[in-house]
Amino acid sequence: MKHFAVTIIGRDHPGIVSTSARILFELGCNVADSSSTILGGQFAMILIVSHAGFESSEPLQRAFAEMESSGLSVYVRTLKPGGETRPKLPGDLCMISVYGSDKPGIIYQVTRLLSQKNINITDLATKLVGTDVRPVYVMMCEVVLPPELSVDDVRDMLDALREELQVDISVRNVTPVEL
Amino acid sequence: MAVREVLVYPDPILKQKCTPVEPLSHEAEQLVQDLIDTMYAAGHSVGIAAPQIGAPLRVAVVDVSGSKLGQKHNHGLMVMLNPEIIESSGCKTMREGCMSVPDFTGNVDRAEEIVVQFYDRAGRDRVVRCKGFEAVAIQHELDHLDGVLFLDRVSNPGTELFKRKH
Repeated sequence: MKHFAVTIIGRDHPGIVSTSARILFELGCNVADSSSTILGGQFAMILIVSHAGFESSEPLQRAFAEMESSGLSVYVRTLKPGGETRPKLPGDLCMISVYGSDKPGIIYQVTRLLSQKNINITDLATKLVGTDVRPVYVMMCEVVLPPELSVDDVRDMLDALREELQVDISVRNVTPVEL
Repeated sequence: MAVREVLVYPDPILKQKCTPVEPLSHEAEQLVQDLIDTMYAAGHSVGIAAPQIGAPLRVAVVDVSGSKLGQKHNHGLMVMLNPEIIESSGCKTMREGCMSVPDFTGNVDRAEEIVVQFYDRAGRDRVVRCKGFEAVAIQHELDHLDGVLFLDRVSNPGTELFKRKH
């Protein structure tokens, strides 16, 4: 079965989810993993969908034309076989919070360090909060540590950046407990 | 004595309210042993409740002493028949997973400290104060006795939320 990733984004208003769900239902698509949220004034959706009969993304693109004409942007990506399966990621899960007064380079400096150490980011959200006069930047980053790294190692690693960027950084273990 | 199969959702037994068990009965003794065997056989497990092995009865076992998180506060192996939480305080958020809901985890807020009353394996009425990871594990297992899964208590799926900019 072919899998597709559908990305939908546009000015937030009630009905975006139900319209896209209707289109997918009428096409006979299955929705697997999906995630949607408001970013700025935009509502952004990403869905992994499948259809037993579709060989290309063309029918999906055609069906979503009605949403595009109402001002939303829709992009359909055809996944390669296996592209729908989440990889097994062993290792501790850890949450890194970075926050401080807004300045260029916060995401770049932090994530560059993470990728150099082969740390995989599994979830990343940033938000501009505070006031217009004193904007505060908040970055929440969930990562999987390679086996050779501990949470303390990551904390030490990010220590230098704390000084350099003048931000607060906290690192904590959020590895799920199986009960 | 047997390692039993762990039922996974959507098995209807997992959403059922369990009935009290007769302490010291043959049925209870058998069930307790099966729960202990199944929990330890799973290796990573720190607790299991009777409905997870197909018995809709109010019995659960917990042992966090083998887990890194449970080193500081634990009562070793706890066998609890007809348990009730009679007092709870504080709040602790952990990302929970469950053998009966594979491949999904979520943040759950629980009491940090609890007092739990139960009959032990020898039929004695016990009242025990637990905290930290042990308290979380007990609350998770006791939820199973009421047909409640951690999915019913997830506060948010992952990342903490921040107040939106106005």
